[in-house]
Amino acid sequence: MAEIVLRDLVKRFGPIAAVAGVNLRIEDGEFLIMVGPSGCGKTTTLNMISGLETPTSGEIRIGDRVVNDLEPGERGLGMVFQDLALFPHMTVFENIAFGLRVKKTDGAEVERRVKAAAEAMHIGALIDKRPSECSGGEAQRVALARTIVNDPSVFLMDEPLSSLDAKLRLDMRTELKHLHHRLRATFVYVTHDQAEAMTMADRIVVMQGGRIEQVGAPLEIYRRPATRFVAGFFGIPTMNFLEGEVAAGGEGDGPAFRSTRVEQPLSASTPTDVAGRAAPLGVRAEHVRLVPSDDGGGRVTLTEPLGDETLVFFEYGGAAPLVAKVDPDSPLGPGDPVAFEFDREWCHLFDAEGGARLN
Amino acid sequence: MAEPGHPAVVDATAPARGRLPLGRRLSAWASQERVFRLIPFIAVEAVFILVIIIPFILTIYISLLRWRANRPFEQANFSGFLNYGRVLAKDEFWMALGRTFYFAGAAVILELLIGFVLAYLLHRHIRGRRLYITIFLAPMMVVPVVVGYNFSMIYVDSGPLNEILAPFLEPFGIDPRIRWLSNPFAAQWAIILADVWQWTSLTFLIFLSGFAALPQQLINAARVLGASPAQIFWRVQLPLLKPAIIIAVVIRSMEALKMFDPVVLLTFGGPGISTQTIAYYLWQEVWVFSKYSYGAAASILLLIFFSVFIFFGIWLLVRQRESVRRVDVDI
Amino acid sequence: MADARSRFRHHRRAWVRHAILLAWTFFIVFPLYWMVSTSFKGAGEWVSWPPHWYPHDFTIHNYRQIFTFSALGEELSRDATDQAFSIWKALGDSLLICSVASFIALVLGVFLAYAISRFAVGGSKFRHIILTIRMVPPIVIAIPILMYYAIMIPFTTEVLFGTRIILFDTYFGLGALYVATTLPFVIWMMLSFIDEVPYTLEHAARMMGAGRMYTLRRVVLPLVASGLVVTYLFVFILNWSEFLLALTLTHPEVTTLPVLLNKFQSASEGRLYGPQAAIGTVITIPVVILGVLIQKHLIKGFSFGMIRK
Repeated sequence: MAEIVLRDLVKRFGPIAAVAGVNLRIEDGEFLIMVGPSGCGKTTTLNMISGLETPTSGEIRIGDRVVNDLEPGERGLGMVFQDLALFPHMTVFENIAFGLRVKKTDGAEVERRVKAAAEAMHIGALIDKRPSECSGGEAQRVALARTIVNDPSVFLMDEPLSSLDAKLRLDMRTELKHLHHRLRATFVYVTHDQAEAMTMADRIVVMQGGRIEQVGAPLEIYRRPATRFVAGFFGIPTMNFLEGEVAAGGEGDGPAFRSTRVEQPLSASTPTDVAGRAAPLGVRAEHVRLVPSDDGGGRVTLTEPLGDETLVFFEYGGAAPLVAKVDPDSPLGPGDPVAFEFDREWCHLFDAEGGARLN
Repeated sequence: MAEPGHPAVVDATAPARGRLPLGRRLSAWASQERVFRLIPFIAVEAVFILVIIIPFILTIYISLLRWRANRPFEQANFSGFLNYGRVLAKDEFWMALGRTFYFAGAAVILELLIGFVLAYLLHRHIRGRRLYITIFLAPMMVVPVVVGYNFSMIYVDSGPLNEILAPFLEPFGIDPRIRWLSNPFAAQWAIILADVWQWTSLTFLIFLSGFAALPQQLINAARVLGASPAQIFWRVQLPLLKPAIIIAVVIRSMEALKMFDPVVLLTFGGPGISTQTIAYYLWQEVWVFSKYSYGAAASILLLIFFSVFIFFGIWLLVRQRESVRRVDVDI
Repeated sequence: MADARSRFRHHRRAWVRHAILLAWTFFIVFPLYWMVSTSFKGAGEWVSWPPHWYPHDFTIHNYRQIFTFSALGEELSRDATDQAFSIWKALGDSLLICSVASFIALVLGVFLAYAISRFAVGGSKFRHIILTIRMVPPIVIAIPILMYYAIMIPFTTEVLFGTRIILFDTYFGLGALYVATTLPFVIWMMLSFIDEVPYTLEHAARMMGAGRMYTLRRVVLPLVASGLVVTYLFVFILNWSEFLLALTLTHPEVTTLPVLLNKFQSASEGRLYGPQAAIGTVITIPVVILGVLIQKHLIKGFSFGMIRK
């Protein structure tokens, strides 16, 4: 059993609360990714789980034990670090064997388990090299093998892929996911890269300012962001936001969103109490429809072809330009006048003050 | 962090503890953070207290007595601040102090200038760079007493310096066998020169590592922007070398004020008292004339004077260090 | 045309550069050369006029004299130079005191440097406070120590243990002082090495169940091994060169090499330049060689952690 429960976890560094009250239950065997901008408290939370930081207050349980006062090595966790933290003065073999040596495992057993872990990570050939002689991807595998060999029930990972180049990072994502399936252990993974979180996680924890903004499955977070922050953090390109207010539906038509330049009908399911309030509207690029039109009020400023689709940036008179995803064969080019419309089922409304979701 | 609210690590493993062999138990105890924080700290502080602090307290006590070697310590009577007044009224004390600053100032300025020029000439690759560096750093390793001896040989009236000067002096009927160390001014500069010989190696080393630490990208950027070598030097390199300059000035000044070894080997404070540094003066008062209480008072006064410089120096170093400290903590 | 002129300028600059560097090389090398050369000269040549640029009458007599096992060399004994010793005693004393004191300072200093680097023991300014001790002039330490060793310790031990223990002119007395005065340097140099060992290496070790002692022994110390060697050698050289404290607090029982060099005088002949040159050469050669060996690391040690790479 390796369920992890965090209760009212707080960590202060002097006057700053890096983690300001986190409650979270991490299920046994799940791949949980904590994501957020730098300084959001995700790494501190991970370090408190690992035992490298002592919480200012709150409780950490692993399985049925409160581990607040246990040394990191006594918690039965494995950790992969951002800089991998391979011991430069030891061979790959000794690096992997380190944890076993600490436990005074006997020599033959060490040999056997290190070989097995190395084979599992496809680095059997590197065993006598030094970490400095390994490529980025190889070093990554050594770091994983060093963790696997101790057979922990929980793997903590602190941005382990950030040192890799873009291509390798994509490959390693897939590989980590395979590893998770094979080991059936709990993975707690910290990253600032929302794409990494989307692709690998069973569940995502979005953090900001030391608090949890939203916990949920990747698609849930993408489709129904709980706050404006989450909405803006996930998705490429960044979600379009328009400042304005919600007008109550008259007879015949439903509620609508109004700003100085835009009038957008909203889904009939929009809660009625939102009417009359100032509420920023968010809409993803794929939910913006564009048609060439001379009197639509929009003008294309820039296009970015991505291959499978094209991003079109256009001005409409509001504060910032909007972006739409269109078919790559679309004839639109800079300077073209366009009319635009949002998919009313995919309009997100947020509280103007706190940023909480309203619909 | 051993907050009081969190019992130490050992407590969590307490049940298992009794069964562990002594060695393991000892290493478990030694692995606690508070042990790691405190034991080395206490040990080092103990050394400082036993070897430096207590003797100083004793010295303060002795400085308040009237005690010379001609009388047993137990019979020395209390004299209040008499010794301090004597020291402060003594011309020799002030002259020695002033002379020390004169020597240190002259030596440090020369060392900084020469060290800087040499480091500048060698900061990029040129032929023989490694050999030059090896030679220029060598004096630092030479025992200061040996430096004193070497220069005493060079200044000797029938030494190589006079031989070199002879062709310029003999035509005018001057005997080239000049007794350099008998002339107060020449003797003073002989000592300064010996210090420069030895310690330019240190300023050179500091500046060399300062040049090595310069970000090459910035210099390339300046070059691309069309800056001339002179502009790059004055506007980019020199400001970036400020930390190295501060370190060199502080460390060398502090060391130069201690000047003693070359004085003993070269001049024995002479001719007259013209090359007595403050360290030499105190040594003479205590070890030659056995004026213990007087020496104690003088050394306390000297410590007070020097503390001002020491704290100013440390303050410069701290301020300088804090300005370069990078903050890259992800919380 | 312009190219040729700029090349000419370039050559002239290179020439000026080498002229300056060679002049300084001469200034540095000549005194050392003169010492070595004098050490091979016979008594008549030490201060002859005009001076001999090289030993005309090459002899190893000076070395024979200082290395003679009898207390006094044959020539010196004539004048009853009461202070002339065989160099063997001083060599042994210097080696013993310097190596042991440097080692103790290294052990104490490494642990404290680690604690300062990792736990900010003593506060953020502590590393600078330690440096102040190094900046106090040794004469200011020597006077209190003289009285401490001569009065307070004998008195205290007599009261406590019934015997007067005198530390003046003992190995322990001088060694303890060397430990205290070189500790700041050890701490500073080791800090610059330990600061560079990433925290995450230790975190990784601790995550795998290693205790702090184990981590220190297997991870941190091996990574700063070269720093340990360099620091030890550097501190050794400092102690080896130390003169004032040795002069004031030892002799005749304990004699270090710098003190011996200074005492090498004869009543009738004044300074014995030849034997002094030989002693100087013997003292200097090993440390200069050591210094050249650790030169690369010295640059790092002397940056005092203040010049970033």
